[in-house]
Amino acid sequence: MPRRLRRIAINALGVATILAFAFPVYWMASTAFKQPGDIQTYVPKFVPFPPTLDNFTTAVTRPYFPDYLRNSLVISISTVLLALVVGLLAAMAIARARFRGRKSFLLLVVVAQMAPFEALLIPMYLVLRQANLLNQIPALILTYFIFTLPFTIWALRGFIAGIPADLEEAAMVDGANRFQAFWHVVLPLLAPGLVATSIFAFITAWNEFLYAYVLMRDTANFTLPVWLATFRTAFGTDWGGTMAASTLFTLPVLVFFLLIQNRMVGGLTAGSVKG
Amino acid sequence: MVEGQAEAGIGPAVATPRRNGAPARGRSAVRTARRLLIYLPLLPSLFAFIVLLGYPVLLAVLISLQKMGLRELVQRTTVWIGLQNYAAILADPTFWAVAVRTLAFTAVNVGLTMLVGTVVALLLGALGRWLRLALSISLVLAWATPALTASVIFQWLFDSKFGVVNWALTSIGIFGDFTNHSWFATGLSTFGVISLLIVWQAVPFVAFSLRAGILSIPTEQYEAARVDGASDRAIFRRITLPSLLPLILILTFLSAIWDFKVFTQIWTVRQGGPAGETVTLAIYAYLKGITGAQYGLASAVAVVMVVLLAFVLIPYIRTMLRTQDDL
Repeated sequence: MPRRLRRIAINALGVATILAFAFPVYWMASTAFKQPGDIQTYVPKFVPFPPTLDNFTTAVTRPYFPDYLRNSLVISISTVLLALVVGLLAAMAIARARFRGRKSFLLLVVVAQMAPFEALLIPMYLVLRQANLLNQIPALILTYFIFTLPFTIWALRGFIAGIPADLEEAAMVDGANRFQAFWHVVLPLLAPGLVATSIFAFITAWNEFLYAYVLMRDTANFTLPVWLATFRTAFGTDWGGTMAASTLFTLPVLVFFLLIQNRMVGGLTAGSVKG
Repeated sequence: MVEGQAEAGIGPAVATPRRNGAPARGRSAVRTARRLLIYLPLLPSLFAFIVLLGYPVLLAVLISLQKMGLRELVQRTTVWIGLQNYAAILADPTFWAVAVRTLAFTAVNVGLTMLVGTVVALLLGALGRWLRLALSISLVLAWATPALTASVIFQWLFDSKFGVVNWALTSIGIFGDFTNHSWFATGLSTFGVISLLIVWQAVPFVAFSLRAGILSIPTEQYEAARVDGASDRAIFRRITLPSLLPLILILTFLSAIWDFKVFTQIWTVRQGGPAGETVTLAIYAYLKGITGAQYGLASAVAVVMVVLLAFVLIPYIRTMLRTQDDL
C-alpha cells in the first residue's frame, strides 16, 4: 500500500514538473495564435480556438523586420563559417599532432572558453570603436566569432579524436596526400560533428542580445533579439504580436536544438558553454 | 568529458613519414621546416585570441587606470589616474550594495538550480517510460528557449492585469486575491520572477547532465547495496551522491559563472528597476559605461567582476583539466 501511494506521489510530481517546464512555451505559442479579443481576458482561454495568423502578420509587417531577419541570418551564418574554418584548422592540429606548446594552446582554449564576455563589454566596445567598426555588421560577426571559437575548437578536437588516425594513414599509404586524406576520409566521418558544432555556434550568435544592443546604433542594423526586446515597448500591450514575434524567433532555435540535444549533455560539461 | 577521453591511446600521434633513401643532407632542415609547419594551422586561432580577446582584456586593465570619458575618447587623450577609479567605486555605497546583491542573487539561483536539477534528475529515473519521455521533451523546450524569449514570456505570464499567474493564484484561493497584483513593484519580487526564469532555463542542462552521470554508475553497486538491505535514502547518500560529486562540483561552478554575469534576463525584464533595486554588477557596469560614458570607471567594475569570478573560475578550470587525460 505505501508502495502504491509512493508511485502516485511520484507520478503526480512528474506531471507537475512536466507542466511547469512546458507551460511557458505552450503559453507563448498559444497566445500567438489567439484572436485579439481572446488574449486580454480576465479568465484565460487555454486553447487558441479558432486560431488566427493575424498576430504573425502584425509581427512580420512591422517596419524593418526583413532587415532584422537578414542581419541575423548574415551574422549567424558568417559566424558559423568563420568559426568552423578557423576552428577546424586548430582542432586538426591539436587532435592529430603532438608538438611543443600543445598543452599551453589547449589551456588557452579552456580559459578563452570561460572568458566573461559580459564583463568585457566596455573594452570590446572601445576596441571596435578604435577600429571604426561600431554600428557595422562585421563588428558583431567578429564578436560572435571569438565567443564561439573556443567551443568550436574544443568540440571539433573531440570529434576528430574519435576518428581513428589509421584511416588517414591507410589512405596516405595508398598514395593520397595529407589534404586528400583529410578531404576524402576525415571530412565525411566528421560531418555529424561539424553539423553539431555549427548549430551550436549558430544558436549562440542568433540568440545574443547584449552586444547587438550596444554595438548597433542604426535601427536598420539591429538583429532579431534587439527587435524582440524593443517589441514590447514599441507595441504597448500587444501581447499577441509580441508572442508571435517570440515564436518566430524561437522556432529555428528549437528545431536546431532538437537535432543536437543528445550531443550537448556530454559535450557541454566538457566544453562548458551554455546552450 | 566524453569526448576528451576518447582521444587517449588512439593512433600514433606525430606524422613524420619516413622516406627511405632520402639524402642525408638537408634532411634536418626539412625536418625543422616540418616541425614549424605544424604551427601554421594554429595561427588564425592564435591571432583571433590575441586580437579579439587578449587585447580587450589588456585594454580593460589599462583603461581602468585612466580617466576615460566621452571627452577623452573623442580627443584621443590619455589621462592616467592610477587607482582612482577603483577608489571611487569602492567608496561608492551603491557599488557595495550591488556587489552584495549580485553575490546573493548568484547564490540563490545556483542553489535552486542544483536542488531542482537534482530532484528532476532523480525524477527522470523514477518515472515510467511515457512520463519520462514527456518530461524530457518539456525540459528540452525550456532549455532551447532563448534567454530573451524566456524573459518576454515570463513578463507576459506575470502581467498584472491579464497574466495567467495572477489568475491561477487567485483561483486557487489559499494565497489570497492576486487580481491586478504587480510582480514588478518591488525589487525582491522582481528578482523572484527573474530567478524563476533563470532557474527554469538552467535546470534542464543540470538535470540531463546528472541523469547521464547517474546512468554511468555501475548497477552492481546498487544491487550489492540492495542485497545488503540498504534503504533508498542510504543508497542515494552512500552510492549516488559520492559518485556524482565531481560532476555536481563542475555543474555548480558553471552555474555560478553563468548566473554571476547574467545580463539579458535582468535587463529585458525591468532594466534594473524598480528604482535600481535589481541592478547587478553586469547591469551596473553597463549603466556606468554605456549609459554614463564613464569608460574608466566601468572598466574598473569589469576588472573587479573578473577578479570575483576568478574565485570560481580557477578551481573550475583546475577540475576541468584534471578530467582531461591529455592535458
